[in-house]
Amino acid sequence: MAGVWILAESREPTLELLSAGIDIAAQLGVKVAAFALSSQLAEEYIKCGCDEVMLLPPLAAGQPLESYVPVIVEEALLNGPDIILIGASQRGREIAARAAAALNTGLCSGCTGLRLDQEKKQLVMERMLFGGAAVQTVVCETRPQMATIPPRTFEQAQPAEGHQGEVRQLPAAPPSPVTVVERTPKTSEAVDITEAKTVVCVGRGVGKQEDIALARELAGVLGGEVGCSRPVAEDLRWLPEELYLGISGKKVKPDLYIGVGVAGQIQHVSGIRDSKVIVGINRDENAPIFEAADYGIVGDLYDIVPKLVKEIKAALKI
Amino acid sequence: MPRIIACFKWVMDEADIKADPKSRQLVLDRVGYKISDYDRNAIEEAVQLQEKHGGSVVGITVATPGAKPCLKDALSRGPEKACFVNDPAFENLDPSQTAAILAAAIDGKIEYDLIICGEGSSDLYAQQVGPALAEKLGIPCATYVNKLTYVEGENKVIAQRKLDDGLETVSVKLPALITVLPDLNTPRIPSLKQVLGAAKKPVDNVSLANLQQTFEPCLKTTGILAATMERRRLKFTADPEDIRKVVDSLIKEGVIA
Ligand SMILES: Cc1cc2nc3c(=O)[nH]c(=O)nc-3n(C[C@H](O)[C@H](O)[C@H](O)COP(=O)(O)OP(=O)(O)OC[C@H]3O[C@@H](n4cnc5c(N)ncnc54)[C@H](O)[C@@H]3O)c2cc1C
Repeated sequence: MAGVWILAESREPTLELLSAGIDIAAQLGVKVAAFALSSQLAEEYIKCGCDEVMLLPPLAAGQPLESYVPVIVEEALLNGPDIILIGASQRGREIAARAAAALNTGLCSGCTGLRLDQEKKQLVMERMLFGGAAVQTVVCETRPQMATIPPRTFEQAQPAEGHQGEVRQLPAAPPSPVTVVERTPKTSEAVDITEAKTVVCVGRGVGKQEDIALARELAGVLGGEVGCSRPVAEDLRWLPEELYLGISGKKVKPDLYIGVGVAGQIQHVSGIRDSKVIVGINRDENAPIFEAADYGIVGDLYDIVPKLVKEIKAALKI
Repeated sequence: MPRIIACFKWVMDEADIKADPKSRQLVLDRVGYKISDYDRNAIEEAVQLQEKHGGSVVGITVATPGAKPCLKDALSRGPEKACFVNDPAFENLDPSQTAAILAAAIDGKIEYDLIICGEGSSDLYAQQVGPALAEKLGIPCATYVNKLTYVEGENKVIAQRKLDDGLETVSVKLPALITVLPDLNTPRIPSLKQVLGAAKKPVDNVSLANLQQTFEPCLKTTGILAATMERRRLKFTADPEDIRKVVDSLIKEGVIA
């Protein structure tokens, strides 16, 4: 089946892309198809408005998910979809890039918004450029038009009364030259930082791991959570990966963001742009965080944070 | 002994990019250029593997002729040779073009066991060129790698991938392509001697004509606008009085309660 195709690693992102796909397909007057990893999910996708589900058979032991690329490419060559939307997980990004290369078509990576140009029957897609300093609008001149879309960009599709569709079984993935020898699932003990009303963010200006306690204390009096910059999670490994904010990390929209020893480079700021109020604490008066902040406090964080805690406690009488 | 190709991109330093607040146009006349951040990790990894196992490292880039300064920068970081695939037409390439041009410049022309790319470039951050290049060359790839081991005598690498749902260690037969994360290593800062030595290292110049192919874009950019943000940008000192003013304001704004 041609039309709009949806591919994501799991249920939630598939339903999100499905709602966007249904919308575009209606405007184009075409159908929506999705890939599914189980017949149970296939049924749910159909209930939620999918016209056809392409059921991927289970992988052999040691085959990574990316082994489906040849199967997906083959289906696309046979059926000629107009559009393929793929969930921008890391695996999704690899699958999309390889499929686009095999299909000689264009791929808009990290697409944060899209609409249909009715006249040209073309997707108009937006994405970030230069670490988030700019927004780029692109169209894809080749077919299929492809995009990878981050989680939570769209609302999930909801079950539509009595919606019918077909399930089609796809062939098994060929043996993969990449073999998985070990898997360590993530133990997700980290809080969901995107839910926090107040985020105190630890940057590399915090000199020692123990000193994160300072930020925790500040977050404590504010009833908030502690997040961090990418190097604090990735290079220093002081905090879990799920807590780093920015273009490649989590995007947050708290009422209050306080950066503690965060430089405020554009890749970080892209993830906190939608905060209601931004406070920056940095000893370098020229640090970029002051360009992005409502309230900038210039000085040593080891001096400022305890004072802030004291003043907040006094003001809130705690 | 692995023959390694490290891919790198010469990009505008995003920290230098300014915007005109009214028109939201980017002001690019004063920007400096750099080797894309995570490509430095790619070069570093290639050089470390060579230091440990022998073999060779070639740095390769696709750019306009104006990007020539990138060669000295890249070579000072350890590769013994560079391949400069350049043409005035290679401006604002989309990722599919870059991957296709790299594939044309590598396939049958440079012998290799392993290709290393960064996770994504600092400017476009499309994270496509690595996996797309692997697909074009018909070799396996492992993306988002934060630990890489070359297994001597077995012609394979063991790579640990860091993914949304956890860690995945994969074994990949060579030739293969790997894209690397910044936590894999710390790129060295070239010494003066290395910088001077870089000028003497060989560079292969490859032009569009040499590749005997055309490379059409798939994506067309229809607009670029600066992402603007309205902020008050008030500045305070560490004096207790100033701190109190900040706290009072935050309470007034209703973000502390
Ligand atoms: C493609 C790409 C994607 C990226 N994605 C992200 C992302 O998603 N998220 C992210 O965070 N980064 C990202 N980065 C990295 C980003 O560019 C910055 O390097 C990073 O955000 C810097 O982290 P930092 O502010 O903690 O550290 P630094 O840049 O080291 O800054 C530390 C700051 O602390 C200040 N400081 C030091 N000591 C003190 C003190 N005692 N008191 C007060 N201030 C002090 C310093 O003046 C400095 O400004 C990305 C980069 C690239 C190239």
